[in-house]
Amino acid sequence: MNKGFVEDGFIIDLGNAKDASEIIYELSNILEIPEARNKKICLKLGEIDLSQSQLLSIKSLINSMVSELAFVDTNSEQTELSALNLGIIVSELSNEIEVETPEINAEDFEIKETEVGEPKDGLSYELIEQEADEEEKIEVVEKTEEEIEAEGKLEELIDEENEQLSEKEIAQHEISKLPTLYLQQTLRSGQTMSYDGNIVLVGDAHPGSEIIAKGDITVWGVLGGIAHAGARGNDWAKIRALKVNAIQLRISGFYARRPDSMNIPFIQRSSEFTPEEARVENREIVIYKMSE
Amino acid sequence: MTGRVIVITSGKGGVGKTTTSANIGTALAKAGQKVVLIDTDIGLRNLDLLLGLENRIVYTIIDVVEERCKLKQALVKDKKNPNLCLLAAAQTRDKSSINQEQLKSICDELKEENDFIIVDCPAGIEQGFQNAVAGATEAIVVTTPEMSAVRDADRIIGLLEAKEEIESYKLLLNRVRPKLVQSNDMMSVDDVVDILSCSLIGIIPEDVGVITSTNKGEPIVNDEKSLAGQAYQNVAKRIMGEEVDFLDIDEPKGFVAKIKKFFAGLFGKEQKA
Repeated sequence: MNKGFVEDGFIIDLGNAKDASEIIYELSNILEIPEARNKKICLKLGEIDLSQSQLLSIKSLINSMVSELAFVDTNSEQTELSALNLGIIVSELSNEIEVETPEINAEDFEIKETEVGEPKDGLSYELIEQEADEEEKIEVVEKTEEEIEAEGKLEELIDEENEQLSEKEIAQHEISKLPTLYLQQTLRSGQTMSYDGNIVLVGDAHPGSEIIAKGDITVWGVLGGIAHAGARGNDWAKIRALKVNAIQLRISGFYARRPDSMNIPFIQRSSEFTPEEARVENREIVIYKMSE
Repeated sequence: MTGRVIVITSGKGGVGKTTTSANIGTALAKAGQKVVLIDTDIGLRNLDLLLGLENRIVYTIIDVVEERCKLKQALVKDKKNPNLCLLAAAQTRDKSSINQEQLKSICDELKEENDFIIVDCPAGIEQGFQNAVAGATEAIVVTTPEMSAVRDADRIIGLLEAKEEIESYKLLLNRVRPKLVQSNDMMSVDDVVDILSCSLIGIIPEDVGVITSTNKGEPIVNDEKSLAGQAYQNVAKRIMGEEVDFLDIDEPKGFVAKIKKFFAGLFGKEQKA
């Protein structure tokens, strides 16, 4: 965590305080506001020197207000030492990047047991049929990294010339600005993970599970269930996995299903992982191998 | 002494939960443990049939819950083994007649005087399942090597993982046919364990003897010659903490065995499945 970006974060800048008691006084005032509760607090402490016990009482104050001290940003060596001794992360808050705290319902990133196929609240994904009748997974197109990079650069050049941000760039920019949910677990059948942002899952997604994201979906494991990226209508969202064995892939309003010939449901596990990425090209979902 | 409360569940119906409960309970009791079996399948009770105790049931768990009798009065002692008792379900009611707190308090009360409480869970994930799991701290998930059963077992494991009270859960693979596994028509043990990511407590081979044992009301662990009976005995030993190797249930492949089969076929004898 170099740039001090946390989701559900709340920055409190107390760099101008003169001593520890002033910090505690200010902090207790600020923490009275409802927005400051249940958040991960990032404390900017400027030049102030804080001893270990002073820092501990500040931390306890935050905990008592149902919040959590995520990290401190300090220029003082003594404060840094105290923080490290207490196990508090010291990080730098870059003033250029504003930590946005988007409006998220607590329900949005709770694992829920919902029936597969039921539209989640607010995320109604209507499956738009394509002009072509049947949707099948396209054969995997092998592209080398250089080719993909070259394409990207070309697009950049063209766009620079136009001096206008293309719709694609806006959408991709939006994805990179979204908060990301990071999970280290396996999603079992019947479990849904939906989030208004990007989702990174370190683990498998078993068939019968659903991952629904406003942004990209990255599965560091076997993706066996249903994945829906760009669920609120972003056509440039991507789905990646170490092994794409998904029952259905959905990006924005497009969907693709696993071809019947590939229906070897019980051979999910494989010692060979083939990292792949799915994205929408020419109004179809295409899967690319991430070859070396 | 505090007893261990183990729930036998599966999600899918018909995979062998009740058979497993009856046999594990009997095997544990034979080993000298004090065991109580609880049938929570209210309305579709079967555990009493498998144990041959249908005729001896006077009070059921619903009578206990509705305070028409004391808990001790509802416990039926096993025909052969005084260490084993059954708390039967009611056949004339349904699963809405009991709730989670009631079942938990029954389990808590029985825990104090018994070594093992085995709770036989009904199929499904609704009220029946929620009730059965309420008092338990350990679970055994029963499944057969079929895609539908494995998918349902995955769902159940997901639900069990979400419950804090369940400290551990193990997998029991039932009705395995080694011949079909060899010819690649059936999922192997490794396939199932891989998909479910759950540690194994037992592999029970398909055994025709189970059908007759159900009809007679005598659990198959009592039959020393049956492979399934031996496998259940091993499961009971593992539950008690012993380390037991898994039985070799594969068909004998040696030369002598082949000759035997050849002659058996010549004389038209029935071959065992």
